[in-house]
Amino acid sequence: MRGTLSAVAIALICSAVSLFAQTKSAVPRGADGKPDLTGVWQGGSTLRGNWDETNAGLGVGGSGKNPNAPVIVSSNDRPAGREGAPYQEWAAKKVLESFNKRGIDDPTSICLPAGVPRSVMLGLFPQKIVQTPREIVILYEYMNTFRTIPLNAKHPDDLLPSYMGDSVGHWEGDTLVVDVTGFNDKTWLAGTGTFHSEALHITERYTRVDKDQINYDVTMEDPKVFTKPWTLHSTIMLREGTRLEEYICVENNIDPANYERLLKEGVKITR
Amino acid sequence: MVKQILCVLALGVVLCLAAIPVVAHHSFGAEYDVNQPITLTGVITKIEWTNPHSFFYIDVTDKSGKVANWKLEGYGPGVLYRLGWKKDVTMKPGDRITVFGWRARDGTNWAHSREITLADGKKLMFGPPAGTGDGGNAPAVEVH
Repeated sequence: MRGTLSAVAIALICSAVSLFAQTKSAVPRGADGKPDLTGVWQGGSTLRGNWDETNAGLGVGGSGKNPNAPVIVSSNDRPAGREGAPYQEWAAKKVLESFNKRGIDDPTSICLPAGVPRSVMLGLFPQKIVQTPREIVILYEYMNTFRTIPLNAKHPDDLLPSYMGDSVGHWEGDTLVVDVTGFNDKTWLAGTGTFHSEALHITERYTRVDKDQINYDVTMEDPKVFTKPWTLHSTIMLREGTRLEEYICVENNIDPANYERLLKEGVKITR
Repeated sequence: MVKQILCVLALGVVLCLAAIPVVAHHSFGAEYDVNQPITLTGVITKIEWTNPHSFFYIDVTDKSGKVANWKLEGYGPGVLYRLGWKKDVTMKPGDRITVFGWRARDGTNWAHSREITLADGKKLMFGPPAGTGDGGNAPAVEVH
């Protein structure tokens, strides 16, 4: 009996080890010994595998309100279990107004850049990280935006407020820490109506924990709208074989005109 | 056996952890009504393979023989490409297809597409689920 139990235990351990070995491999490193984040990635996912495997079937989109649709959140939705964002009372009312308008005031609905951290955490479009020892560049397919992240550099002192902000990075052990400032007040952070002021200051921590996964921790500080810093945790997954496509939003963006027309015609499109 | 059980357990964990990718999109929920699902079968008359969203038009013939042209919205070309669509190949004007989606709130011949069944029976997603982009089930802030 004891022998059988031991055999079972050994089999369990071996299987567990082999499963682990199958699913997680070592973090690739550059010549400088730092984790190399270079690759095409998908934010807002925890699934390992290529794009097809991880986005098949009903895997993308939606609020899950309709029984015929999968229960999936979009970047405009607050995921189940996430605490409310720490907005000051007046600001929370403004966030709620956007929610009640079903997000028709979403800056991206008129093709403006999605900003940070929204660009990082959205999943429908891939992002590409290109790493060199001195600088990291991130290209986002959504809205064709980019960020350059010089390492061990200081923010310029003559920043013009911008949609994607100004990023500088440094390594803390195996974690890339990125400090972002110099934002305008025209993007949403993480969910419908999550506006901010030009005082927004973001600290991102990218930790590649194995070949397939970056743990993404982001802290947003904005004393003009928040009561305290707002921290979110997410993962960014490697999508080997995926390439970035063009995304030229202004080409045929008729949705805002539709919102306007429907409102004018008295069709109830708000909550 | 043990390995099989482990595999099932592991699969369960993977499925549980499978937070599905979040989407950035214009508010489909504002324009289209989640309470009005619709399935249409008809012949493709035009396809606009454009950003930020693609559109296609189908002639739908009712029981009395009357033809109505419907407009359907879906993902942009990059997303469609990754979902398996090839421009001018997968679906062309003249093809007879069936589409499932949700009607626009104004009640016109206009809808948002989700799943398309092609002439050869193959099914592909052309647009996101109902309610995409409308803010979901709870606002980002607590409501007191």
